[in-house]
Amino acid sequence: MERINRRTFLWGSLAAPAVGLAFPAFADSGELTISHYFTGDLGLKAFNEELEKFTKATGIAIKNSPIGHEDYKTDILVRAAGNSLPDVFSYWAGARVQFIVDSGSLHPIDDMWKQANLDSIVSKQVAASATSYNGHRYLLPFNYHYVGVFYNPKVFAAAGASTAPKTWDEFLAVCKLLKSKGVAPIAVGSKNRWPAQFWFDYLLLRTAGPVYRAKLMSGAAKYSDPEVAAAMALWKSLLDAGYFAENANAQDWTDAADKVTRGEAAMTLMGTWVTGYWNANGLSPGKDYDVFVLPPLKSGVPNVAVGPVDGLVMAANVKNVAGANKFLEFMITNEDVQSSWVSGQGALSANVKIDPSRFNSVMQKAAAAVAAADEFAFNYDLATPPPVAEVGLSMFAKFIDSPSDVQAILAQAAGEAETAFKK
Amino acid sequence: MERHNRIWRAALLALPLAVFVAFVVAPLLTSFYYSVTNWNGYSSNYAFVGLANFTRIASDRLFMQAAVNTAIWIVAAIALPTTLGLALALLLDSKVAGARIFKSIFYLPICLSAVIVGQIWIWIYQPDWGLLNAFLSHFSDRPFHYAWLAKPGSALWSVIVAWSWQQTGLSMVIYLAGLTSIPGDLLEVCEIEGATRWQRIRLVVLPLLAPATVVAVALSVINALKGFDILYIMTGGGPFNSSDTLAMHMYNESFKKYHMGYGSAISIVLFLIAISVIGLYFRELRKVDRIYG
Repeated sequence: MERINRRTFLWGSLAAPAVGLAFPAFADSGELTISHYFTGDLGLKAFNEELEKFTKATGIAIKNSPIGHEDYKTDILVRAAGNSLPDVFSYWAGARVQFIVDSGSLHPIDDMWKQANLDSIVSKQVAASATSYNGHRYLLPFNYHYVGVFYNPKVFAAAGASTAPKTWDEFLAVCKLLKSKGVAPIAVGSKNRWPAQFWFDYLLLRTAGPVYRAKLMSGAAKYSDPEVAAAMALWKSLLDAGYFAENANAQDWTDAADKVTRGEAAMTLMGTWVTGYWNANGLSPGKDYDVFVLPPLKSGVPNVAVGPVDGLVMAANVKNVAGANKFLEFMITNEDVQSSWVSGQGALSANVKIDPSRFNSVMQKAAAAVAAADEFAFNYDLATPPPVAEVGLSMFAKFIDSPSDVQAILAQAAGEAETAFKK
Repeated sequence: MERHNRIWRAALLALPLAVFVAFVVAPLLTSFYYSVTNWNGYSSNYAFVGLANFTRIASDRLFMQAAVNTAIWIVAAIALPTTLGLALALLLDSKVAGARIFKSIFYLPICLSAVIVGQIWIWIYQPDWGLLNAFLSHFSDRPFHYAWLAKPGSALWSVIVAWSWQQTGLSMVIYLAGLTSIPGDLLEVCEIEGATRWQRIRLVVLPLLAPATVVAVALSVINALKGFDILYIMTGGGPFNSSDTLAMHMYNESFKKYHMGYGSAISIVLFLIAISVIGLYFRELRKVDRIYG
């Protein structure tokens, strides 16, 4: 065999990749790129099934890049900065969408909305609160969630609490009873900070009302206001009474949910996605877990339901507009997709044609709670601009760790929030 | 022939150099550029702000806390993995049965990614069922449920211990290599002269291990400065920034608070600190090379 000299080897090793580079990688013109945060315990398998249905129905291949829920918040903005957003991606309705709409990263979907006649398909309440920004529609609501008090009925029954509380006094009585039986009344898994926000949301909404809360979220009110102090004082009273399981900041939301399952805690204030987690772990709705509305605190204050709306948005630099439009329309109008998705994920459908009686008893209660509410509001970190949300989420975690420092914590948060609003 | 070799050297270096420029030098220069702007990280709308980001550092309480935490980590990096690595090397550099197996076992953690190491230690530190609290509960009359990673007083040290556990194997290997370079007849002479084991170690072995010590300490410090992935996994710089290091603070400012300009300024400061450490390392290495040839 002829010996290969160094020169030949060198040129040969450079030639091979050079030849490869000479053929540019043409993107498949029928392909659609998608990214989303429905990963892990948040419905990865279910979402992949819905994507397969789309491909089967339309022949459009999907290049899918799921990203962990927490990392997604950073990842999508980095991709926006690098102008490398996927054609379609999931996003949380509210302040986060407003943030990226203001940066020019999204493609409006007014035409798609009109063509698909979505006014007659999407719930008016959800459409009004979640889809329009700066006068145009940008977000397609894929599903929404309700934040309620999910509890273990067996633990309640064993403690002697036969029914879910309907008034605040009843709620406090149940907490006292559970504690006396050696069960932590409430579990919170605030390791990633966000689960704690629901307590602040409801306590503020139930005392100061939605109008004041909206002002706080927009910066028109301050964290040093007496309304905020009152809500935090109420929260402190629950913590001081020992109604929260210890080490909340060391547990994830799934750890808190597991505590409720195991009977170490009785209830957790969480979104309906927890039912998806519990269903996947073989629990039975109604038997192993149930839900009630956190009772009102003050008469005359509107009843507000809190929860996030998961949406799908189109990137401004979308390469496959036709495919993206088809995808968005398919994901909200296809009843099979909507039914199986919301069932698998523990969500509520924004499609009014989906009959709620299809769903389990717990999800029907959640849907009824939203329908009965005077208003629907996004939870804290979706209702206020992301830099301010960072301040608030840290404030809640700090407060849970050291409730006695509430005044100093509030004072610090007030200053930081004011600075964050200015930027 | 010399010209021929020069061409070969240039050609073979061209690709790695191009990669280095594209992925290290270019981002560094870009960081310098953004550090003098108020860019939020994704918008095309930003302005030149001069040295405002750098002067902000001086009054940033979180920066000072992160700087202190970084200094603590560096001191711990010098003390913990290098000392433990040295002790393990001295212990295993003898004809003890199973020494080879133990060397492999102690080296294994460095083969794991920081993410895996972090996850292992998250489980060890878990307040309700973690190994550490289960062990400590044996010494307590009631179950011990301390949340190591969720308490400001212990979060940073918990991460440092996990990181040191991984780094110790690397230091051990460096010292084992250093021990093989110590002339055997020197140690024989010590034995003949009646020196105790401790005298042998203190007066002969440790001084001759100076080059290995410089390498072990420098690598530990550089890895400590780079320590981001294990911290991100275990605490994310929390709780309440109590375990923030400069690298984590830079990340949080850039990607969580959308102050990419300010984050870039922090990265420049971190870069200057790292350059100083590396400069010190090369100076010490040259000194040691001069003494020990």
